[in-house]
Amino acid sequence: MNLEILASVQDIHLAIEKVNDPEYPGISIVDLGLLENIKLNEIGEVVIQLIPTFSGCPALQMIAQDVREIIEKLPGVKKVDVVWLNSPVWSVNRVTAKAEKDLAEKFTVAVQIQGRKVKCPRCQSETTIKSHFGPSRCRSIHVCSGCNEVIETLRD
Amino acid sequence: MVKSVLSSAIKEYLLAFADDEHLMGQQHTEWIGIAPFLEEDMAFASIGQDELGHASMLYALILEGSSEVDAFIFNRKPEEWRSCQLVESNHQNWEEALMRHWCYDMAEDLRWELFRESSLPELVLISERALKEEKYHRQHADALVENLLKVSTSKSRLMKALEGIVPEVLELFSSIPGETEAISSGLVSGKYCDKLPTWRSRVENRFGVLDQKLFATSDHQARTKRHLDFAPLYGRIREVFLLDPKAVW
Repeated sequence: MNLEILASVQDIHLAIEKVNDPEYPGISIVDLGLLENIKLNEIGEVVIQLIPTFSGCPALQMIAQDVREIIEKLPGVKKVDVVWLNSPVWSVNRVTAKAEKDLAEKFTVAVQIQGRKVKCPRCQSETTIKSHFGPSRCRSIHVCSGCNEVIETLRD
Repeated sequence: MVKSVLSSAIKEYLLAFADDEHLMGQQHTEWIGIAPFLEEDMAFASIGQDELGHASMLYALILEGSSEVDAFIFNRKPEEWRSCQLVESNHQNWEEALMRHWCYDMAEDLRWELFRESSLPELVLISERALKEEKYHRQHADALVENLLKVSTSKSRLMKALEGIVPEVLELFSSIPGETEAISSGLVSGKYCDKLPTWRSRVENRFGVLDQKLFATSDHQARTKRHLDFAPLYGRIREVFLLDPKAVW
């Protein structure tokens, strides 16, 4: 009988929640919708399936490394594989309400949820799109009609 | 990943697409910091990043899960590349870079569409992702060109650039190694050159009817001969890799 304690899928999930997006310290990759699946077998081999926001995202290696390091420390874990999936395709609809709130409050970044107008994180006024391409691949640029601020917006 | 399902002809076919995407991405990123205005600087950076991402997905497929992707890409000799002249040529003027972006991205979704019902499931997934990203590339290129065409001096510069680029686009469509086997195996649904009329109608809807002589087919090499501008480009893309070939990025 194997009496060694082994972390559960739930333990692994909780640990991954502590991994932040390198661009948004304090915002979990789980809340941004990057975690797709966790596989764990009885001998402590873990496969974590993540989906990238964009195929050319330069942070993929860094995120995979952060996940590996945190999971390797869990009890009974012998091996960790982090796999980037090509499907499903990430969309902003995977972003949780908590991450949306944190992005607005901590980074004044809006989220372009499909079927909803982008509101200014500062004053809640409506915004108009200025450019689909912003300071990083997953952000567009909006301008607020109320306070005239330029608003970075997380988008598909 | 499924092991060794791809024949060498199919790998050549995919390599042509991967190399096109790689060099197009590289060419776009070279405008970072020097594009004429900030929005374009950021747009070219993001669009170039997408093309590099598409290239890396295709290279990974060709290499069937090998971790030596960088070594494969950067250690190849020039004659082993399968890129087309359009992405190798050095368009140094901004209007040429913009026109190449417009022309390339108006052709790229037509290429991904061929994979929508591919016999290789991974390719179907990759094409879905790429097509979603490409929509923004076309919107961006076309919105800017539409505005610039309203100004007569801009229009004449763009038209001149377009005339120089069309022959290179014909080569992009015409000469893909391994295409016959890619079609017979169900990897793609048809010949890329059959999409050329769609591309031409997009061009003529935006720029007006062009001189028929521009579309006269010339003798194309099957992507085995490199453009004169390839050598310096090859030097630039290998420069950092050669500093530390074993580095993980």
